[in-house]
Parts: sequence; structure tokens; C-alpha cells
Amino acid sequence: MKTIEELREQIAKTSYICGSCGSCRSVCPVYREIGWESAAPRGKIALAKEVFLKKKEEKATDQYAQRLQECTLCGKCAEICAAGIKTRELWLNLREDLRARGMEHQNLTQMARQIKTTHNISTFSNENRLDWVDDLDEVEVEVSKAGSEVAYFVGCVSSFYPMSVGISQSIVSLLDRANINYTVLGSEEWCCGFPLIASGNTQQVTELAKHNVEKVRALGVKTLITGCASCYHTWTHEYPTILRENLGFEVLHATQYLAGLIRKRQLVPGNLDETVTYHDPCDLGRNSGIYDEPRELLQAMEGVNFVEMPHRREMADCCGGGGNLAAVDKDLSQAIAVKRVREAVTTGATILTSACQQCVQTLQMAARQEKLPLEVLDVTELLWRSLEE
Amino acid sequence: MEQALQKICGKRVTTDPFECAPYAKDVAYIPGFFVHLLTNPVPKAVVQPISVEEISSLIKWAKQGKIPVTVRGGGSTAYFNSVPMRSGLVIDTNRLQGFSKLELSQGSNRKMVWVKAGMTWKDLDDGLRQQGCAVCSSPSSAPSATIGGWVSMGGLGIGSVPYGPVHDQIMAIRGVTATGEIVELSRPGKDLTKIQGSEELGLQFDDLMGTEGTRGIITEIKLLVRDVPEKEEHLLAVFNSETDTGSMMSWLGGENLTSLYNVHFSSPEFIMTLQEAGYAHEIPLGKFSLEIDLEGKRDEVDVAVAHIRKHVKVLGGTLLPDGVGAEEWADRFKSLRLEQTLPSLQAAEITLPVSNFAAFYEGLSKLAQKTNTLCVTYAHLVSPEMALVMVLYPSDELNTIRYIADLSFISQIYKLGQSFGGKPYVIGLWNTPYLGKVYDRGERERRRQRKQALDPQALLNPGKGYNPPSIILNSYVFGFGMIMIGLLRPLVLKILKGGKGR
Repeated sequence: MKTIEELREQIAKTSYICGSCGSCRSVCPVYREIGWESAAPRGKIALAKEVFLKKKEEKATDQYAQRLQECTLCGKCAEICAAGIKTRELWLNLREDLRARGMEHQNLTQMARQIKTTHNISTFSNENRLDWVDDLDEVEVEVSKAGSEVAYFVGCVSSFYPMSVGISQSIVSLLDRANINYTVLGSEEWCCGFPLIASGNTQQVTELAKHNVEKVRALGVKTLITGCASCYHTWTHEYPTILRENLGFEVLHATQYLAGLIRKRQLVPGNLDETVTYHDPCDLGRNSGIYDEPRELLQAMEGVNFVEMPHRREMADCCGGGGNLAAVDKDLSQAIAVKRVREAVTTGATILTSACQQCVQTLQMAARQEKLPLEVLDVTELLWRSLEE
Repeated sequence: MEQALQKICGKRVTTDPFECAPYAKDVAYIPGFFVHLLTNPVPKAVVQPISVEEISSLIKWAKQGKIPVTVRGGGSTAYFNSVPMRSGLVIDTNRLQGFSKLELSQGSNRKMVWVKAGMTWKDLDDGLRQQGCAVCSSPSSAPSATIGGWVSMGGLGIGSVPYGPVHDQIMAIRGVTATGEIVELSRPGKDLTKIQGSEELGLQFDDLMGTEGTRGIITEIKLLVRDVPEKEEHLLAVFNSETDTGSMMSWLGGENLTSLYNVHFSSPEFIMTLQEAGYAHEIPLGKFSLEIDLEGKRDEVDVAVAHIRKHVKVLGGTLLPDGVGAEEWADRFKSLRLEQTLPSLQAAEITLPVSNFAAFYEGLSKLAQKTNTLCVTYAHLVSPEMALVMVLYPSDELNTIRYIADLSFISQIYKLGQSFGGKPYVIGLWNTPYLGKVYDRGERERRRQRKQALDPQALLNPGKGYNPPSIILNSYVFGFGMIMIGLLRPLVLKILKGGKGR
């Protein structure tokens, strides 16, 4: 764990690299909505330079704090940065410093308390983690089943939010159809900690990481899968760093695992006569490097006319739902999502898919708000639909 | 003020000091006391118009109140080109987005689009490529530079060898004059209809190009575009000396290779600095590198590649394995990665006859050695005869004395460049002492007259491009000052033990 002095020194060093060229401006979803230079990544780094490099503490104002928290952590600025700055890491460090200064947004403080209390991001008790199973007629979901090959880490959103439970229901249905010996953690699944990491609250994540890893290890599974892009990123990129050890089992995103099953013909997708496009979740694509498997699933369904959006893969636009932005400024998050669903419609697609429960939820709300003729689904939901039909 | 502006632009107005402050900066760092000695850079208000009509209303409003107006696109230049000299109003063009359907020019059947001023060159190119077209040329800062911004500057960059400066690709231009009139101007002598009214206003086609927003404001241009080329090849050749590299650049310029699109030079120091930051490891240390980009018809590209291979060999150079050049091309907008090694750079950018490139480089190396300065150089061929050369060197903005001492080195680079037929690329504010080196007396006078005729109150981007706005920036005073500081620089560096990166 870095001391606050080390953290600030790191921020100072990184901000010094920025040449203020502004390549980051036109790709930043937040800047494109707000429009003022202070909202652009280079504007934020310029502020950080003043505070940390030039030690002008008086520049750390409420407006400064607000701007730093108006970010989806999509990482597109890092992709295009002419100076090669790892901006996502910088934003997280800056948020950690904001917490240390007591300048964290109150909704994020509240969320941290919530997670501490319920071990999930909702107000529901963690005992309700498997309520979504009640709607499944033909699939039996067993909790902490000994001898399982695979553990399915559901994630908070598709455990508790009615709009998203279709994702978890589809994933277990697909696993069941492929005769996979799997299990879930039930109430022993705790929030992966991603929302806390995004708030710069890495300290609180350690407890969650330890608990989750210990529970999965106890199952003795070879593979852990998750349908959530942010959970996946946390398990693969954050936990090994936080715990300073290998997890001892493989972690795959559900789309990776299902693509493997299709390749082995253990799962045979069905037919669907639909024009479908795909939104790369930032935490799965740009921040974890997984682009192909979700597309592989879509293209494996006969009849699906797969079309790409202009902004895709490394240069995909954010859905607006990342980085806790909705907790800081819901309208801003929604405005970003609206742009993305409009882009999806221009492709001629009637179904927009993604591989992240947060993205699906955010984009669904935007499509509804705009009354667009666009259904938003997780790739796994569409895959299951192809089999159901 | 805010209320008046809101009547024109609605919520797209700010007078909040927190929001206005970033508009007092561009890419280059200049010590605050020096900036405030010469300018009042923080605007009183920033507006983001979405139409030419709004801009017209803004100009008319500013004219009434004699409020200076500075137009800003990407803010990606380094000479205060789009930073206010006298506070006032900043018109941020970034909400002028989008481009029209492709159209064909009468007669020549060349493809064109109307594109709005606030789009970045990269966004335009990405958008065009979805329709099988591409921009002809683009600035090396294409992800940040806007359409209006680059047209208002020198317009030289990637693709300028075959297509010339961007100004040559503009068929018509829409904008707003200093009196707030909306105009559309066509390229003289072309088949496009001239809109009535422009002549009466006295505005000419080139008044809005390369003049840094000092005679009018660009809102939209009609730009020639090209089909996406059939084939691309990106070669990376390395040479042992600046002489061989310069010869290769001259040869490439003079050989009339129809598919030659771009030539990018990197000095051994540039490569070394990138390697220290973890990049460009495929390029051998100590070599001079030329990235040669070819685009066009398949057979033309293939012929050119074979031809270039032979000549590289003749000059004792080596072509690096396939893929290295393509990687460099993919990273063409990322030259600032060297800031990971040298985080506080100063720079001088000049245009230079390519035939003198090697001699200039040799002179620069001697100057660098004499002054104990690490010069990191890159360049583009921007015409068969000219190169655009960027010389960067480490400084330290955290140490004001050191930083000011280092500023003097820019004038030494300009002086050296001038002796080889070079001149500063753009003017802005900080290059006004060098106006005499960029334009001859007659041209300076013609420019002043145009400015006087079109903007007699000097409301549009005052202080830029015509006369040094302060006695301190007078060429003699400034030149003398820089010589004095230059004399003190070795002492300053000695006391500071060379600083970081030396």
C-alpha cells in the first residue's frame, strides 16, 4: 500500500509528462458532453499539475474535485495519449487523493458504507443474492457445490437488479445446456470491490478480495467465470496486485468460456434472424484486451447479421455507466449513453449487445428514454435466446 | 456580459474563472510572470457557438463593446496563437461538428465535402474512411487539431508532399468577418460561384487561411478529399550519417514518386529518448531514421518500394524488417512519448529547404555540443523541396531561471535555421519578434494593410501575426535580450548542474 506522500509524488511525476496536446479531448465522452476545457483529460491533468507538481494546494477546490469524479474511467484517453500516459491509473490515484482530502462525492461515501454493510452495492441483504434463481424452472443452481469444475461469480448488478437478472439466468442456462459442472457462491459472494476501486478506495477492497478469493479457493474449482466486465477486470488485474499472489485458478469472462464450449461443440448455438451490433465494454475491451470472443459468440449464431459500430474495439465509445459516473452525475452518464445507442441505431441493428451487466443496464435505459427501436441485451442473453427459439 | 452572451448562445457560455482559466494556455509552458508582463490571457468569457449565425451575432456584440475576440480550436499550438492577448471573449469552435455528403466538383470530378471548423482532422478522416474516402493531408497533431485551426496556421503536415499545404485543398470557405458578416468565398479561378457581397466586404479567399483568426473566423470549409488508397507501404530506413539521410530526403523529394505520401525523420537522440521510455526498440541506436510512407495504386507503390530499396542501399542505409515502418506509422501521432523521458521540453519549429537539411543538422549538432544541450529532432518532408523541422530540448518548468535561460536557445536555433534558408513555421505571439525573418518587408506591409482594411479596430485575435505588440517583443530588443540570456545560459546550467535530461 502506497503512502499518501508516495501517491502524491506519483501523481506529480505523471502529470509532468503531459504536454497538453489535447489528443484526449475529442475521444473523451465526458468532455464531449460538458465541452469546457476543464472537463477534458488534459484540463484535469493541468489541474493536477498545479496541485501536486507546483504545490498550489489552494487549487484543490470543490470544482476540481467534481471534475475529477466526472470520468467514466473508460481509458480511451490512454489509448490515444500522444505522451503515452497511463491515464486510468492517474485518475484512480487522483481519486484516492480526493478521499484522503475528504473531498470524495457524498454518494460514493454512501456507496462505500453500503458495501461495508451488505457486501453488495444494493440495499438488499446479501442473503438475497440468488433471488434471480427463483424464476428458473428447468435449471437447478447449486451453491458452493463440492467437486465443481467451474464457479460462476454473478456480480452485484445481475444478482439484484431486475433489469439485469436475465444475464445471470442466461449464463446458468447455457452452462446447464452444455452439461457443465458449476456452482455459485450465493450469499458468500461479496461485491468484487470494483466500485470502490473506481472511487480510489483500494483499502476497503482488500477485505473483499481476501474473502472472495478464499471462498473460491475453498471450492477447489479450476475456473472462475463472470459475466460482468468490471468483476472480470477486478479479478484478473486488481486482486493479484492487491493480494500480491497468484489466485491459483483460471479467471475467464463468460464470453471467453462460452466461446471455448462452442469451439469444442459442447454448446451449439441456435438460429436468430436479427441484425445485431456489439458494444465493447471498456473494462473488458480496452482495459482487459478482450475483443474477439463476444464477437465469436454473435457470429456463431446462424442467421445473425452482425454489423459493427464505427467506434469499436480499442476505439469503442463508453456507455457512460463506468467509473461511478452515474453516482456523481446521472444526467451526464445518461447523455453519454444516449450518444452510444444512437450510434448503434445508425448501423441498422435492431439489437445492441454487450458483455457487461452495467453497460447493458445503462444502454437499455438510454434506448428507452430515446424511444429507439433498439433492444439491448447481453451477448449471453442473445445466445440463450437463440437456443430457446 | 454573461446575460448578453446567453441571449446568443444559451447555456454554452461561461464567465466562471475556474472554467475560463484553461483558455489562457496552449501547449507550451511560458513562466507566468512573463505571460502577465506581456498579456492578459484569461478571457472574461468563453462561448461555444453551434452555428455561423451565432458567431456572427457574437462578433457584432463584441464589436459594439470593443471587446477583443480570440478563436480557439484544439489549442494545440505553442505560440499563444489561440490564447487571448487582451482578455475579452474566446470563441471555442469545438461544437461546430460534422461534415456534409460527398459531392463532386464540376469539371474535374474530384470529391469534396463541406466540413465544420471544430472537427478534429482525425475525426474527419475516420468519418470519411467509413465512406471509402480519406483526407488528403493532416497535421501531425490530427487527433487534437481542428479543421479551422490547421487552416488558420501553416497547413503543412503528413501528406503535404503530394497534396501541398491544406490551403491548396480548400475549394471554398465559409466564415464571419470582423464586422460580423457571414460570407462564403470560393477559390479564385475555380468553377464555384462566388457569393454576392464578399467583394464589397473586401474579404479575399486567402484572408481566412494561415492568418490565425486575425481577419475573420472560419466556420466551414469545402475540402478536397481522396479515395482510400489501394495499397499502403511503410518503410523504415536507417542511415549512418545526417549527410546520407539528407541525401535520401532530397532524392525522395526530387524523384517524383507518385505514391510518396510522407517522409518522417527521427534523429538518433529522438530514438534514444523514445527507447529510454520503452518504445522504438526495433530501431538501432545511433542511427538516423527515415520512415517512408507510400500510398496509392498497387503497382505504383510496388514500383516505388523497389526503387527506394535500391537507393537506400546506394546510400549505405538499411531497410528495417517489414512491420517496423508500419508500427511507426501507427504511432505517428505519439511523438510526445519522449516526454516520459524528458518531461519539460522547449521547442523550435522551422521550415527548411530539404537540400540544406544535412548542413543544418550538422550545425545544430555543433551548437548542441557547444551549449551542452541535448537536441531531439524530428522532421517531415512537406513538399519536394521543403522540410518542417522540430527541434526539442529539455528544460525544467519547475525552475523559472533555468526555463528562461533555455528560452534563449530557441533564437539560436532560428538563427541557425535562417542561415540555411529556414524560417519559423507560425507566428502567434511569441514569434512576432521574428516576423522579419518570416516575411519580407513588402509582404509584411501587405499583411498589415489587409488587417487594417478588414479589422481596423484590431478586435480579432489582437497582438498576433502583424506587429510585435510590446516593445519587449520588438525584434531588436527581444533579439538583444535573447543574446544576453544566451550568454548567461551556460552559467545558469553550470550552477544547476545541467538539470534533468542533459
